[in-house]
Amino acid sequence: MEIKILELTENKAKFILSDVTPAFANALRRIAISEVPSMAIDDVFVYENTSVLTDEMIAHRLGLIPLKTDLDSYVLPEKCSCKSEMGCNRCRVIGSLNVEAEDGRKTVYSGDLKFEDPEVKPVTDKIPIVKLEAGQRLKLEVHAKLGTGKQHAKWQPVSTCAYKYMPTIEVNKRVCDGCGRCVEACPKKVLNVEKEKVVVVDLLSCTLCMECVKVCPKEPPAIKVKGDDKTFIFTVESTGCLPVKRILVEAAKILKDKGEELSRQIKELG
Amino acid sequence: MVEFIIPVRCFTCGAVIGDKWEEFSRRVKAGEDPGKVLDELGVKKYCCRRMLLSHVEVIDEILEFSKFKGEIKKEPW
Repeated sequence: MEIKILELTENKAKFILSDVTPAFANALRRIAISEVPSMAIDDVFVYENTSVLTDEMIAHRLGLIPLKTDLDSYVLPEKCSCKSEMGCNRCRVIGSLNVEAEDGRKTVYSGDLKFEDPEVKPVTDKIPIVKLEAGQRLKLEVHAKLGTGKQHAKWQPVSTCAYKYMPTIEVNKRVCDGCGRCVEACPKKVLNVEKEKVVVVDLLSCTLCMECVKVCPKEPPAIKVKGDDKTFIFTVESTGCLPVKRILVEAAKILKDKGEELSRQIKELG
Repeated sequence: MVEFIIPVRCFTCGAVIGDKWEEFSRRVKAGEDPGKVLDELGVKKYCCRRMLLSHVEVIDEILEFSKFKGEIKKEPW
């Protein structure tokens, strides 16, 4: 197995994963989406809401705000030793929001949410939650908890997590006469004509749409496009709750634990 | 897309787009090209782009009606 990083920032990663089976790549993708924990608002206690949105709608919008997650100091509520319905300091964070529009219209932003742990805060302070007219008020308490994408999409740490097969494009130089029809047909501008022959200029952008093969006037086509099912181009985008690198490391850890658990159970049987 | 207020996240991919609405709407109202503004805000995927492009902020109109609430309360009945 080999990883070649093409792009890595706090919130986005693009890399080539090679010498693995499609099953392994898919396991990594699925775990990153649905089993890596992140933090989101789960319980909302509304004390006063005279805004035009209903309590449920505001609670839903609050839930969708991604929060900066500290995976090392919090545990999932179901794994917490407290076993309490309201949670303890290790499995939930209490926050509050209290905004009143005194004179004129006011927008309530995600930045108005204040948590008792300063490490937990909304990823951006600029998400509008609701707009208030003069005299309206919103006062509520929230409980943020760790959770996984399996339970609700608000706990999904990634927005995009996808892979595609590494394309392999072969041009038969003896047959190709450089008519350029495949260059025109390609939606991703992967090909170009150089010295009356078609050459590949941007292999990684190829989506394996096969349009170039279809338009080739030669019979059989002078261009061959295939996906290599041992090499994968991964694109992962984080919602901001965790750095994308951490998400992938956690996903790999969870996959390893699952593998160990499986072999332990098989041993028990035999 | 007629939503009360700008959705927090893109319906399709789940990326946060709510925080980009105010800048987007302000700049487009000032006469800038919406496509260019989206590019500069870093909204790349077309699922996220349509969230902002097709949004109508209905809550602004609804708020006009809630203005009267306070005054009605003060009436003698």
